[in-house]
Amino acid sequence: MSGGERNAKRRQQAEREARLAAAGIRVPQSSMQKNRLPMIAAGVVIALVVIVAGGWYYLSTRPATPTFTATASGAVVTAGTGPVVIDVYEDFLCPGCLALEKRDGNKIISALNDGKLTVKYHMLGLLDARTKPAGYSTRAADASLCAAAAGIYGTYHQKLFSVQPAENSAGLTDDQLVSYGTELGAGGDFATCVKGTTHDSAIKKETDAADSSDALKNQGAFGTPTVAKDGKRIDINTSGWLDTVLAGG
Amino acid sequence: MNGRVLDVIGTLARLGLAAVWLISGGIKAADSGQTYVAVRAYDVLPLDAVGPVAAVLPWLELALGLLLLVGLGVRAVAVVSAILLLVFIAGLVQAWVRGLAIDCGCFGGGGAVDPDATAYGLELLRDAGFLALAVWLVARPRTLAALDGILMGRTAT
Repeated sequence: MSGGERNAKRRQQAEREARLAAAGIRVPQSSMQKNRLPMIAAGVVIALVVIVAGGWYYLSTRPATPTFTATASGAVVTAGTGPVVIDVYEDFLCPGCLALEKRDGNKIISALNDGKLTVKYHMLGLLDARTKPAGYSTRAADASLCAAAAGIYGTYHQKLFSVQPAENSAGLTDDQLVSYGTELGAGGDFATCVKGTTHDSAIKKETDAADSSDALKNQGAFGTPTVAKDGKRIDINTSGWLDTVLAGG
Repeated sequence: MNGRVLDVIGTLARLGLAAVWLISGGIKAADSGQTYVAVRAYDVLPLDAVGPVAAVLPWLELALGLLLLVGLGVRAVAVVSAILLLVFIAGLVQAWVRGLAIDCGCFGGGGAVDPDATAYGLELLRDAGFLALAVWLVARPRTLAALDGILMGRTAT
């Protein structure tokens, strides 16, 4: 439509409305362009939702600070001292483990801090083949066991998930694994421990044991993350699984 | 085609798109951890930005769905819907071109999958269908039983 045509149309419209007005007929404001109220209302709703969701995110997802103690034995880290004991099977490369950490990490840390829960973290190298070169899962598991010995397991565990590398990447380097720990206060022989292979055989044994355990299988296969209580896999897809466990269920 | 038929088509498009946003937003809001993994898998945003985006996205989708359902500001909501769908489509195309093996996470799920388990073609086709609904409503936002109609003095039918 050219400008001239548009003007002509507008003029015709105005003439029509004038004729109707002269005949005593009120023309309701029907043109979308004239009434912007719904647009403004919708815009306000969308803006409010974005602001509230964003604000809630910033207030609610600051990571909890681990204050619980943790000790390593073989490839298993025992965290906390609570009466309720669960086993968590994790791989630092596994996206599902990151999802679990994002969703329930803070709740788990609070329960550990409050002395309500004990978590036996089984550090696995299940996805070793998913990095190039292979082996990031085992290196990260090894580093977390070194972190337990250095007294920083809780914060280091959080850190490795917050910087989780993508599958099919090279993974974090040993130097990166060392520097994250050093930043969190690991001293002594932490660097030597991370670069060494002290825990590799224990991690392999733990991975094989978990992988072949019938009680841990879900639909015929073992995968991470898996959470077990009294040696049997529990369903963590339902939100509130942790509350159920803490309540003695 | 007379206006009445066009109104009915528009209403179906509006309610269809509302259902899409309400379902996909609801599933994403219910599993925030999974949504984080799905957003991160596109490997576009820096890690620090993945968290906020994954936190806001489900609620934005739910808001769009709700506004479409009641028919408030249909044209504006359709414009935002179309932009969001174009962002999703761009994300999928870049993942496909770069050879990433991910699930779109459009309706829950998401994240890395086996390279032979990707379904980019179908996912893009589906998003294009949703985009068509949004474009219709941008071009012709007038629908039946919409708050817009009441607020603008049309009789609600």
